[in-house]
Amino acid sequence: MRFSEATGRKVVSTADASTVGTISGFVVDPATKKVVAVALGKTSGQGTMLPFGSIAAFGTDAVTVASADAVVAPDDRLTELSAKQHTILKKRALTTAGDEVGTVRDVEFDPTDGSLVSIQLDDHTWNGQGLVGAGSYAVMLRP
Amino acid sequence: MSTLLRASELVKMPVVTHGGEDVAQIKDIVYAAHGGHVEAFTLAGRGLFAGPLKTALPWARVAGLGKSAVVIESEDDLVPLEEALAATAQDGPGRGDVLNSQVLTDQGTALGTVSDVVIGILGDPASSQADVVGYEILPAETMNRGKQRLLIPLPDTIAASGEHLMVPASASNYLTDDLAQFGSAVDAFRAQLGGRV
Repeated sequence: MRFSEATGRKVVSTADASTVGTISGFVVDPATKKVVAVALGKTSGQGTMLPFGSIAAFGTDAVTVASADAVVAPDDRLTELSAKQHTILKKRALTTAGDEVGTVRDVEFDPTDGSLVSIQLDDHTWNGQGLVGAGSYAVMLRP
Repeated sequence: MSTLLRASELVKMPVVTHGGEDVAQIKDIVYAAHGGHVEAFTLAGRGLFAGPLKTALPWARVAGLGKSAVVIESEDDLVPLEEALAATAQDGPGRGDVLNSQVLTDQGTALGTVSDVVIGILGDPASSQADVVGYEILPAETMNRGKQRLLIPLPDTIAASGEHLMVPASASNYLTDDLAQFGSAVDAFRAQLGGRV
């Protein structure tokens, strides 16, 4: 599934069938090459982060969670990874060999475990497991 | 994979970590005292008001070098400037400032003036040297080559002062005796360099 498709999707609690928020972004950890959490907007409480492990199902129409308690306030690690300088979308992409290969337009991930499948650049795609790091200057990709 | 780069293309290139941060930019190239290879890079900070940094990047720590950036694994790869400069004994014929030097053969013929240094990297930067493989020269008028810049492939170590660069007379043989062969050598160089004339 692509980030662009999943953004805006509702997150629903299976305990009381209430909407707990909508997906507003994705938190990617380059170390594990996985989506580690989903950032939520329009939440009722203080929490804004849904750790990927708390997701019951990533369905085509909605994301389900066991209860609204799954939505938490970001811990230090999530705060750092979700900071603007570590996001992936719309960043320049550089290979570790030092060549610019375009701008990151979209990311495809596996909805079952959050692992990155591919990274969509301007005119071609890159293996998602080639992600090395994401900083304020560029997203680094292994050739 | 082999890469050919002009020294002028390297200067101001960002130094980017595997984490995607630009921690510096290339300020200048430190050539080894005798051998024709790159020893290290001196660095400047990024941004409008950033000045020279007190750290340098030894060639051995470079993880990747492409058309857009010099890549290192982390900021820890930068070493204090004195350390990097100490590694190059600054005695003997240096190659520090060859730009605008007059290229002379050992027979005393002027070929032109150096306008750029061509650096070649063979294989993976992590395990190879960055050799000075040639010079781009603005040909002397007596060469009758007009203003078209030529590339001289130079495999051997040669002598250089701030003023002159001595090349073996065989280099001029390339230019005078065997035009076809030299032309194809230049063409091959140019093709690899991306066709800046």
